[in-house]
Amino acid sequence: MNPVPVFAFTCPVKTNSGNKALEHLPVELAGLNACRPLIITSAKAVGRKAIRTLQNAFGDSGMTLGLFDGVTKTADLGLIEHLKNICLGKKYDAIIALGGYDIVDAAKVLNLAVSLKMADAHKLSPQTPVLRHLSPLVVVPTAAASGLETSKFAHFSRRIYSSEYLAPNLVVIDPRLTRAADGKTIAATGLAALGRAVESHISADANPFRDAYSFAAIRFVKENLPAAVNKPADRKASLAILNAASMSGCAASEANSARLHKLGQVFYDMQHIPTGVIMGMCLPHVLGDYLQEGVNDLAALLLPLVGDDEFSRTPAAKRADAALAVLGRFLADLYGALGKDLPRNLREAGVPGYIMEDILDVLGKDNEGPYLRTVVERIAG
Amino acid sequence: MSIVKDIPSAKKPFKRAYVGIFLWFTGRAIQAAAKVDKEVKKEFDNLPDDFTFSLGCLPNGPSMVIGKRNGAVKYLGGNPGQHKVHVRLAIKSVDAAFLILSFQESTALATTRNRLITDGEVPYALAVIRILDIVEVYLLPKIIAGLAVKRYPKQWSAGRKLGGRIGIYTRTILGI
Amino acid sequence: MLLPDYYEFCCRVKIVAGHDALEKIPELLTERGAKRPLIITDKGVASAGLIDIVSAALKDRLFADLIADNVPPDSDLRVVNQLAKLYQENDCDAIIAVGGGSVMDTAKGVNIVVSENAADLMAFSGVGALKRPLKPLIAVPTTAGTGSEVTQVAVIKDHEKHLKMAFGSYFLLPDISVLDSRMTMTMPPLITAMTGMDALSHAVEAYYCLQKNPLSDAHSLAAVRMIYHYLPIVAENPSDRNARLSMAVGACLAGIAFSNSMVGLVHNLGHATGSVCGVPHGICMAIMLPYGLEYNMHKREEAIAGLLLPMTGEAVYRETPPAQRADKVVSLIRQLNADLNTITGGRHARFFQEVKDREGKPLVPREVLPEIARAALSDGASIYNPEDTDYEDNLMVLEAAWEGIPLDRNKIKRG
Ligand SMILES: [Fe+2]
Repeated sequence: MNPVPVFAFTCPVKTNSGNKALEHLPVELAGLNACRPLIITSAKAVGRKAIRTLQNAFGDSGMTLGLFDGVTKTADLGLIEHLKNICLGKKYDAIIALGGYDIVDAAKVLNLAVSLKMADAHKLSPQTPVLRHLSPLVVVPTAAASGLETSKFAHFSRRIYSSEYLAPNLVVIDPRLTRAADGKTIAATGLAALGRAVESHISADANPFRDAYSFAAIRFVKENLPAAVNKPADRKASLAILNAASMSGCAASEANSARLHKLGQVFYDMQHIPTGVIMGMCLPHVLGDYLQEGVNDLAALLLPLVGDDEFSRTPAAKRADAALAVLGRFLADLYGALGKDLPRNLREAGVPGYIMEDILDVLGKDNEGPYLRTVVERIAG
Repeated sequence: MSIVKDIPSAKKPFKRAYVGIFLWFTGRAIQAAAKVDKEVKKEFDNLPDDFTFSLGCLPNGPSMVIGKRNGAVKYLGGNPGQHKVHVRLAIKSVDAAFLILSFQESTALATTRNRLITDGEVPYALAVIRILDIVEVYLLPKIIAGLAVKRYPKQWSAGRKLGGRIGIYTRTILGI
Repeated sequence: MLLPDYYEFCCRVKIVAGHDALEKIPELLTERGAKRPLIITDKGVASAGLIDIVSAALKDRLFADLIADNVPPDSDLRVVNQLAKLYQENDCDAIIAVGGGSVMDTAKGVNIVVSENAADLMAFSGVGALKRPLKPLIAVPTTAGTGSEVTQVAVIKDHEKHLKMAFGSYFLLPDISVLDSRMTMTMPPLITAMTGMDALSHAVEAYYCLQKNPLSDAHSLAAVRMIYHYLPIVAENPSDRNARLSMAVGACLAGIAFSNSMVGLVHNLGHATGSVCGVPHGICMAIMLPYGLEYNMHKREEAIAGLLLPMTGEAVYRETPPAQRADKVVSLIRQLNADLNTITGGRHARFFQEVKDREGKPLVPREVLPEIARAALSDGASIYNPEDTDYEDNLMVLEAAWEGIPLDRNKIKRG
């Protein structure tokens, strides 16, 4: 009776991007009724300079900032409990996560523990019900991002927390923090953004609200990643890539079956390989399979990839193939530019054989397990 | 386990001072332009008798206040707290104020970049922005003002530009 | 794609869309821990039978005495306070607003009063006075045009003190907007046409105005594609439910675009014409839209040309030489007005000369154009327009829009 199913979309994240974006933070926080933010970061991951830049942005605000700069990849609920007690005791009223990946995941889970005033944060689990807004959370990404920073997910201590309320209220993308130390870092971020954006379009039902984010992200990656990789000092290009990463996370919040995501995540969890590196390896295979299955809309990807002119010149029946071909060339150029720095397969990435067994085991538990394992075999090298 | 450090935010004395001086300078320039330029005068004539507006920067940066008092436009100092303000223009940070007052961004551009919060009746706020635009054209060389305003007024006579500019500069500095 | 030196974008509203999207409301309330919603609407919406549909969808979340249908066409502080009392006395925990702009404004006002326990609403007026989330507000728009289901502003009038209070805050964004095709199905063709042109003007203006950014652009393009395609279809076949849903979605996308990128000359002169002559907003938008494009063409030709593909599709795009694409967009919008004029039996006005009231009296006599041009100087939309506008510019554009002739582009002042 209803040919079009009910569809939904939400992106709770406000975006502030560009010149002096950080300096608006005191006013933004005041607008969220916060005046005592706690910065959560990892000095090792983002560097002292980035932390100083963020601190300096609060110059003249009269605010006092808390700083915890020791998030590690092995952070667990013990750390959350510890930080939660400090937060409640010292009355921090907002969290600013500086950086990407685990830093933001930890900040999201900490925000959950603090906002729900958990007596014991060890009791937190993905099943903990969240029915209301949490305290203000701001994400300030640096060059290394998984794209999930802006999403409603937190991958923390081998568990996946998911709630609309986990997403940050605000993402502040400032060009002083988004320039990468090397081409590989920004390439991984760009590929993660591309993978998530592509996947959030093709693996879910049509949704123009979500596509607004996905298509803008695809366009930004296609137009800016080569420049960002070849000239890591290019302010605008890396700013655009981090914009794309942020958009892709907003779009990914709604995607339900995400093959690239699952593949990227498992290698990150087990081997700390940046998500985008694996997504880049898997992209041609996974998209090729989607094309074969013939049920998903790959043709629409051509528009953000090539722009109005070339899209219009390509006959409708050939667009899906053309999109795949464009992506293939795009990846080949990227691998060409980065050489050994960007591994093309798991062997080049240095994934040891004994780990592969574990990875295949983890994937085997997924409902698409058998399929995902075939992809892993194809990228083994 | 690492602990949480508390860090008080730093001060920005140089930028604060620059912004403070430029707000003072712009305030004086508006006072002068209201005497020298027909259009600025007309804008002020259309505003109510006790009209007062402030331009300042958040969260607690320097400000300036301009008001109509007994028919004359006056620079009323740097403390908006003492006055009933009709229009409040607030720049989001001292750094953003620095961008605007060092003329890297015009008031209009700053508004469209969400750097400027405008509070008050819209028609009044628009009049204030038009006044600031005209004053910018006077104070700045064409090459900079051309970037700062949407349409650099080439139909202004050379006399208005030059005469006006000299008049405003001297009055600004002498405070008359 | 353009990345501005600095931009901000925010639309926190959860969008739920579909032919039976209303049926999701009970679940959405549960997710927010709410049990007793107050329904706010107006007499027109109720008498069109739309509240019956909403009521049926609410099932056990419906409380018959918590339906207030007394919102006046102009938001009113007294009604806001009365509805807030109703909410508080009945221990409500959410608001469902069903209607157009005035209903949404009223519901936002009620939400401020009940969430902040505000004795005086005035204390929360202005920009940024609200600092924390309000009670859950679900917006159910009954026109496809205004976009007020995704805007962060509200205007409440105090008719006793002759005050207009404006509120602006991201916390005023509804939590959820429910777009259901049944809510617009009974809209007559003329209203459909004018509200649809309002939506199109939002999408187009957002795409050329100064505050445009990559995310507002993406929403604009999607909106233009849907509205341009489906507007003539719904005007012709009011009961085409897929087209109705597409229009609701398109208008919402346009609302998201313009509430972030803002609007320019079309709205500037349109607001002024509305306030001087009482012409409905949508009609002003339909008439002014081609002129907004022409006036800003020398500054925004590339952006305007970028609207051609989403509007017409590949064939026309390919046939149009690059240098003519922007002009083609303008002529297609004029043609759309002409088509809507035909579909509505001549009632959809194409230029101001054609706008008549019920008795057939012209609503915009030529003599009032100077007054409109002056009034436009007091409207905030001018800030976001790419090219400057002064009194003479406004008058020149209005004269052309009155007669229905294209703008003489040589006469547009350039810096
Ligand atoms: Fe409108």
